Amino acid sequence: MKRYDLVIVGAGPSGLSAAIEAAGYGMKTVVYDENSRPGGQLFKQIHKFFGSKEHHAKIRGFRIGEELLQEASAAGVEVQLESTVTGIYEDKEVTVQRKGHIEHVKGDTIIVATGASENMVPFGGWDLPGVIGAGAAQTMMNLHGVKPGEKVLMLGSGNVGLVVSFQLMQAGCEVVALVDAAPAIGGYGVHAAKLARCGVPFYMSHTITKAEGTDHVTGVVISQVNEKFQKIPGTEKHFDADTICVAVGLSPMSQLLKMSGCTMSDDPKRGGQVPETDEYGETSVSGVYAAGDVSGIEEASSAMIEGRISGTRAAYEMGFVSEEDEIKELTKLKNDLLSLRRGMFAPGNKGKKIEKTEEGINVSQNLLTKGYLSEAEIFRYPGICRKKGLHPVIECSQNIPCNPCQDACKFSCINVGKDITSLPVVNPLAKCSGCGMCVASCSGQAIFLVDEDYDETGASVTLPYEFFPLPRVGDQGYARNRAGEIVCKAEVISVKSSPAYDRTNLLTIRVPKDMAMKARFYADRAETKAETAGGAV
Amino acid sequence: MERRITEHPILGTIEKGRKVSFTYDGKTVEGYEGEPVAEALKALGVMVHRYTTKKHRPRGIFCAIGRCTDCVMVVDGVPNTRTCITSVREGMTVETQVGVVPASQVKDTVLKGGIMA
Ligand SMILES: Cc1cc2nc3c(=O)[nH]c(=O)nc-3n(C[C@H](O)[C@H](O)[C@H](O)COP(=O)(O)OP(=O)(O)OC[C@H]3O[C@@H](n4cnc5c(N)ncnc54)[C@H](O)[C@@H]3O)c2cc1C
Ligand code: SF4
Ligand code: SF4
Ligand code: FES
Repeated sequence: MKRYDLVIVGAGPSGLSAAIEAAGYGMKTVVYDENSRPGGQLFKQIHKFFGSKEHHAKIRGFRIGEELLQEASAAGVEVQLESTVTGIYEDKEVTVQRKGHIEHVKGDTIIVATGASENMVPFGGWDLPGVIGAGAAQTMMNLHGVKPGEKVLMLGSGNVGLVVSFQLMQAGCEVVALVDAAPAIGGYGVHAAKLARCGVPFYMSHTITKAEGTDHVTGVVISQVNEKFQKIPGTEKHFDADTICVAVGLSPMSQLLKMSGCTMSDDPKRGGQVPETDEYGETSVSGVYAAGDVSGIEEASSAMIEGRISGTRAAYEMGFVSEEDEIKELTKLKNDLLSLRRGMFAPGNKGKKIEKTEEGINVSQNLLTKGYLSEAEIFRYPGICRKKGLHPVIECSQNIPCNPCQDACKFSCINVGKDITSLPVVNPLAKCSGCGMCVASCSGQAIFLVDEDYDETGASVTLPYEFFPLPRVGDQGYARNRAGEIVCKAEVISVKSSPAYDRTNLLTIRVPKDMAMKARFYADRAETKAETAGGAV
Repeated sequence: MERRITEHPILGTIEKGRKVSFTYDGKTVEGYEGEPVAEALKALGVMVHRYTTKKHRPRGIFCAIGRCTDCVMVVDGVPNTRTCITSVREGMTVETQVGVVPASQVKDTVLKGGIMA
């Protein structure tokens, strides 16, 4: 039987990170993954990540994946693909199914990093072709370049639903509506606002009544629900759609851990059946660790740190690293992890209704129910200021662990401070050079550059733009407001792309002066999707 | 209707293998070597991969990562092949599956196989 110092199950961000640490300390390490390519969920993530520099913030997910793979190969990690781990037995014997046969290997330590699987909710017609998981949509469009559908209705307003909706639009699909039975949007407000200003309507407190179609989806009927999540008769709305994308949560894939005898607990805050672990991810079975989504649904950023923690700890337990070095490394990693687990969306705050920000500012209810900040609410936040000349306007209103905007500005216009969940503050005294780095670096696409004194009658608004075709200077089109409504005519006066912007283009439009604080997106045509969709049944 | 994304605002040009031919329910169609059969069919507008045994309910891609078995078809004569994790190869045969047999062996005319728009 083959022996390893460390056997890792799953080559996602947590498994690879654990492997990099352990192999770096000299452990003979193997990583098994059932997929034909490593990286887990990371290669499907094409958006810029939140966090701070230590957490790879403002770097797109798939690029983080490429970095991890390079690090792993430099550290001498052995990655075995198309290899499914089917069991973990006594004495840390592991069975691996590959190429049609079963191999037995033994590890002195085992790290289980199998990630999560997608949840499903039943509704009439849910088994029809055209009803797909959000992960499937990402696989089709971001890995294989095939559009999942033309007109898509998204069910689920968590970060996955929000992020995948935006990615669907980037792939050239139309998102006809975003529907969730919960009364408030579950994901980050900045992700929701990106959709709302493109005209995607949000239907909170709504659920799918049925998917229409005989051989495949041709339409969807949704209804409003009451506080008890019961459908309210007479509230049905119909949408033409060929695809229903389901993003109603993830569950840890913890079966292997259960099988190996780990004490499990049912924790809704962590997504379901999770192993009981200590602070290093070690389970009740000595030498068996759990890291990443399998030990509680979080994010790739935290999964990577958890992996590094377990990898380092395993190396220490097996005598590959001195206590002094272990303490130094783990203290740093634990601090990185803590800084991510703060703010309004921290694991501990799941399900809680938060009324005020850490700064004591009222949370926008409009953002939670409709996906955008209303004009009446906008001036409460410290990122919004009005002054002469060009300046940034930061529409980031929730305490999320994120600060690339602060790092981006070399002219001290933007301050988040030590605590990365604080709201970004615009310094009205600092002089903005118009370099655009903040606009391109903002993971939430929440920063605009506004100049109310552009010319006699007009103001300029610079916004992040990640769609094709890219408008051209001189184009005459329209501006949408935060709600996605067409509010005025707009002329494209500048289009900037740069390697430093990493594929976020900076579009500057000229609008009438009174539209400077309203115009937030550009459309080449005057129709709004919200007006054409959602007919009565 | 173009279902393939040729230029993506973030991913740029999406790299593909060699263009190859295979048969889908007897028709010669094209896909790219190495991409999953399910994606090649999706690009052709095929929605139905199989019909269930008893109720003859249509099924198509659901998870796209080999977990749900909704996408199985008869590939090179082998039923229950998960098309989302089987790569396209020159000359392969792909057939809509009814129960566990190819649709062509089923008399029921209601089952027309997939949609090609
Ligand atoms: C749409 C979407 C958007 C997201 N956006 C963000 C974001 O902006 N920022 C962020 O930080 N995070 C984000 N995440 C979350 C992030 O992708 C996950 O939290 C992260 O991938 C978890 O990492 P992991 O290593 O635990 O699991 P995974 O990435 O799921 O990797 C697990 C791996 O284990 C393999 N595996 C499972 N079982 C076995 C077995 N028995 N044998 C062999 N291999 C097995 C799987 O094939 C997989 O490759 C997003 C997720 C989604 C779905
Ligand atoms: S445009 Fe440049 S100078 Fe102005 S706030 Fe943004 S990063 Fe700072
Ligand atoms: S404004 Fe700053 S803190 Fe808010 S999402 Fe953008 S980069 Fe993050
Ligand atoms: S779509 Fe789920 S196994 Fe292929």
